[in-house]
Amino acid sequence: MRPALEPGDYVLVNRWAYKFHPPVKGDLVVVQDPETPQRFLVKRVFDVPDATQIRVAGDNADRSRDSRAFGPISLREIVGKVWIRLR
Amino acid sequence: MSLLYLLARWLDRISPAPIAYAHCDIPCGIYDPHHAQLAAHTVVRMVDLINQLDKPGASATPEQRQEYTNKLARYIATKEQHSEIAKNELRILWADYFKPEHLKTFPELHDLVWKALKTGSKARQEINLQAAEDLLKATNDIASIFWKTKGFETITAKAPYPTERLTVYPKFK
Repeated sequence: MRPALEPGDYVLVNRWAYKFHPPVKGDLVVVQDPETPQRFLVKRVFDVPDATQIRVAGDNADRSRDSRAFGPISLREIVGKVWIRLR
Repeated sequence: MSLLYLLARWLDRISPAPIAYAHCDIPCGIYDPHHAQLAAHTVVRMVDLINQLDKPGASATPEQRQEYTNKLARYIATKEQHSEIAKNELRILWADYFKPEHLKTFPELHDLVWKALKTGSKARQEINLQAAEDLLKATNDIASIFWKTKGFETITAKAPYPTERLTVYPKFK
C-alpha cells in the first residue's frame, strides 16, 4: 500500500464508520481476508457496486491480491475504516 | 517518528493489536515462463527418442524385447511428467502472475493459455510430435507476452539442447 502505508505503520480503525453511511470509493479499509478469515487486510475501496458489497484493491496493482482475485467483499466482512495512520 | 506512534507502540506491547496485511499471500513476485518452455522441450525430446527407438522384430530375443519395453516405458513416463509440469507452470503464470491489465494489452492471452493446456494434454496422451511442437510453440508465445509485460524485448533462437527447436528468450539490458 505504499506510499499511503508503509510496513510497520500503526492504523487506528473506526469500527463504526459504516454504521450510518456506506463506504465511499477511495476509503482505506481493514477487511477480513476472504481466503483466510482470521487474517485482516488493509486495502482501498475502488468500487461500491451496491449497498451490501464493495470491491477493494491494493495501491500497487502488480503486487496485490485483492478483489480482482477474490471478488467483492460484503459489508459484514469490513472491520472498519482507517481513521489515523501513525508512523 | 511521532509521539502518537510511540504511544501506539507502547500500547501494542502491552496489548498487541492484530496485524492488517496489505497482501494476502506471500507476494514473492518470482515468475518465469522458462520452466514451461523447458518442460515442453523435454516432451519434444521424448517423442523424438520414442520415434528413434528400434522396435524389436519377430526374431528379437526376450532380452531385446525387455530392453525396448524398458526404454519406451521410461520415455513415456518422462513425457507424462513433463507435459504435466508444462501445464502446471502455465497455470501458475495464468492464475498468479497475469493480471487484468495485462489482458487489456494482450486480449488473446486467455485463449492462448486455454489452448496451450489442451495441447499439453494431447502431448501427454499421445505419441504425437505435432502436439509436442504445438505445446512448445504455445509456451514460447506465452513467454513472449510475459517478457513484454516485464518491459523486455525478446529474441527467438535455436535452443542449445538436442531438440534444437526455436525458443523465445528475454533480451536483458
